[in-house]
Amino acid sequence: MSDKTATVIPASDTERPRLAAPEKMPVTQIALLAFVAAALVVLPFVVTGYVLYIANLLLVFIVLCLGLHLVIGETGQFALAHAAFYGIGIYSSGLAGNAFGWPFPLSMLLAGVVAGAVGVVIGTVALRMRDIYLALATFAFGEAMQWVFLNWDQVTGGPNGLRISPARLGDLEILTDRQAYPVVVFVTLLMIALTIVISRSRVGRSFRAVRESDVAAMAMGIPVRRAKITAFGLSAFYAGVAGSMFATFSTYIHPDSLGFQTTILALTMVVVGGLGSITGAVGGAIVFGLISEFLRQTPSYQEIIYGLILIVFMMYAPRGLFAFIRDQMGRITRG
Amino acid sequence: MAEHLLEVVDLTVKFGGLTAVNKFNIAVKRGTIHALIGPNGAGKSTTFNCISRFYQPTTGRVLLDGVDVTRMPASAMAGLGVARTFQNLELFGELTVFENVMIGAHVHAGRSWVEVLSARPPGVVEHVEHLLERTSLTAYRNTVARNLDFGHQKLLELARALAIRPRLLLLDEPAAGLRNREIAALDALLTDLCRREGITILLVEHVMQLVMAISDRVTVLNFGTKISEGTPDDVRNDPSVIEAYLGQEMAHA
Amino acid sequence: MTLDVVFLFLQQGVASGLVIGSVYALLALAIVVIFKTSDVPNFSQGEMVMAAGYIALYLLVFRSMPLWIVMPATILAAYAGAALFRRLVLNQVARANGSPVNLVIATLGLSYVLRGFVRQTGFGDTPRSFPPVVEPQSIMIGQAAVTTLDLVILATAVVVMAAFFWMFKYTKIGRAMRAVGMNPKAAQLVGVDLTRIHMIVWGLSGGISAIAALLISPKVLMTADMGSIVTLGFAAAIVGGFTSLPGAVVGGFLIGIIENLVGLFISSRAIVLAPFVAIMLVLVIRPQGLFGGRVEIKKV
Repeated sequence: MSDKTATVIPASDTERPRLAAPEKMPVTQIALLAFVAAALVVLPFVVTGYVLYIANLLLVFIVLCLGLHLVIGETGQFALAHAAFYGIGIYSSGLAGNAFGWPFPLSMLLAGVVAGAVGVVIGTVALRMRDIYLALATFAFGEAMQWVFLNWDQVTGGPNGLRISPARLGDLEILTDRQAYPVVVFVTLLMIALTIVISRSRVGRSFRAVRESDVAAMAMGIPVRRAKITAFGLSAFYAGVAGSMFATFSTYIHPDSLGFQTTILALTMVVVGGLGSITGAVGGAIVFGLISEFLRQTPSYQEIIYGLILIVFMMYAPRGLFAFIRDQMGRITRG
Repeated sequence: MAEHLLEVVDLTVKFGGLTAVNKFNIAVKRGTIHALIGPNGAGKSTTFNCISRFYQPTTGRVLLDGVDVTRMPASAMAGLGVARTFQNLELFGELTVFENVMIGAHVHAGRSWVEVLSARPPGVVEHVEHLLERTSLTAYRNTVARNLDFGHQKLLELARALAIRPRLLLLDEPAAGLRNREIAALDALLTDLCRREGITILLVEHVMQLVMAISDRVTVLNFGTKISEGTPDDVRNDPSVIEAYLGQEMAHA
Repeated sequence: MTLDVVFLFLQQGVASGLVIGSVYALLALAIVVIFKTSDVPNFSQGEMVMAAGYIALYLLVFRSMPLWIVMPATILAAYAGAALFRRLVLNQVARANGSPVNLVIATLGLSYVLRGFVRQTGFGDTPRSFPPVVEPQSIMIGQAAVTTLDLVILATAVVVMAAFFWMFKYTKIGRAMRAVGMNPKAAQLVGVDLTRIHMIVWGLSGGISAIAALLISPKVLMTADMGSIVTLGFAAAIVGGFTSLPGAVVGGFLIGIIENLVGLFISSRAIVLAPFVAIMLVLVIRPQGLFGGRVEIKKV
């Protein structure tokens, strides 16, 4: 066994799906981060308020995608209720501001904690199921929550929607997208940092262990159920924070935008970016968010192109945009 | 400190109407290598899975160092110093060799926030590197586990189990599928682990070459009941054991 | 609420529930047959129904074709479309070897394409209704009021289901499908052509969706978003265990009846919520559904 000449069987990439293990930062990731950082700083000085609104929205989706990444990408649990937690976040922070005049950092925390707590409760029940059953149970929960948003008139305004009063901190009031932008950027960066820390820590490793083999995880002393619930609760927390970020620059929310479509949009971003990597989640949110925005004027074309992108990606770039680019670059450099 | 690190008392496992294990007893002495053998379908793996808490016995008790662990969840065993491997390899396939072993090592890392969120808790990485060295896996540190060849995958499972710093190491057919040269190396490694580090080992095994070479004691199971127990020589010469194995070969012929 | 009213509501709820439930049962059947044979929950099932509905509408209203041509033409088109999607798209997705969820994402992609396409044609802009196959006349069964159209829907659905079960049980192709459902590798070893079976299964599922579309379209307003009706098919499939074909049928009728009873006894606002509550209750209390097999213990 001390024989080190034993050879490794050539890697066969075709055998099983491959998920990235975020252990080291590759160069592409660092380059991308540098580019994003520069763009974030320059943006407010060169663009209109409307573009900043879109930027804010993209950042919200990045946080939503990071949450989805934790539960689906890292832990391998197909939970499809993120629009519900997002909605819970919007309403809790909106109400904290509207009714009690809370400063926005506090209502953000509240939004995350409320969504996370609901997530833990739902996760405790739903995570006994696997695969398709988990997906369907969480889907049903999401739909039921949308119904609640639509019918709980006293709290959500029901079908009339809810006006959200401007976010405030002491005398400071956030009235425009330009004012909200630094706050949204800051929170996004905070959430990305948190995700990286979690992912590289023992917590992230236990999530990936559960994804790879729950029996082996158990043998390694990982309480599998608790790990799954933690991941689900965390991801609901992210969705809640994303909701409260939305509330800082939005003045109005209607339950229509809190349905399955929103969950699917986030899922699509994560998968198109590349399931299992943080770069994939962030990059997918940006790329796919921009595509949706460019196609916004023509809803029917938007849907067709959107659908075609999904289909083509699944056919020819199944591990996501960034893995695809890496593979192609590798092919070129190898000749 | 009980004389026996592991005791299984009157273990019975029924699946529906089928009795897989019937009133089975075994006591594993501290610091020894104990083998559990028997023909196919004898109930070895079932017993093994009850000890590692993956199956719940119908009746009977499992005692670890005199403490009843029959109601413990499987995930609590690692913390009590019980590590196991799997018959059909259960690696974290998409993770690197290093990460696989790191996951095992986390059981003993601290519980404070800083330690939980640290990427490389102090002490843990050194321990992992040491284990990789010991199992000749250092060269494959950053290889994704599923890309290793079978022999190295088996070693990785062992390294991962050792990362728990076990008192009791449960090995489910560690030699199955290995080449003779690899079995010889495994033989040396296991003996070393037991003699030098005092790790108690219970193994389920088909490969008699390994069992007879390293075991201090052998228990033979057939149709869910113990039919023989003793030193490798005792067991080798026990007519009932020969009959059990012969009977199986006749049935297969 | 007096006992008389309760009794009346019960009859009406069950009667209406059976009618609409028969359509849910068809949808559930279409979902389950695909899931059983290829482990893919088809999220484009709803849009397949919607697209088939619009094909029929186009032929019947805008091309003024007679019904006896429109119906088989629609079913055939749906069969071909679904089978081709399986062959040309999903086979490649399966070969490309991403995560298992990739197949599901690809079906989502199809749902977007179909919806966008119908919107693009402009027919989906305004809610339209499909001319009923028969002139609806009111009939009383006990104290429950139903229409002749209702009876035609129920009868057609039952006949289609019976034909489907017969095919699944007694024909060679049905046996091959069952074999693929149980163990694809083994089925391949004994000479079953997986690609072909998958195409036929998708085709059948598309065909059933088209029949469901023809049955339901006169009763609902058609829009590009009408595919959401399949949510009820999913609910029915879950209640029935998601891998059981008889379960799907029973689940369909149950969901139909529950929905109607909730509407009559509780509130019409709660109708929308009923299937989701049913899904969650079933999954929490009996995750394997009413007809699903026992959950296996993983052997280690």
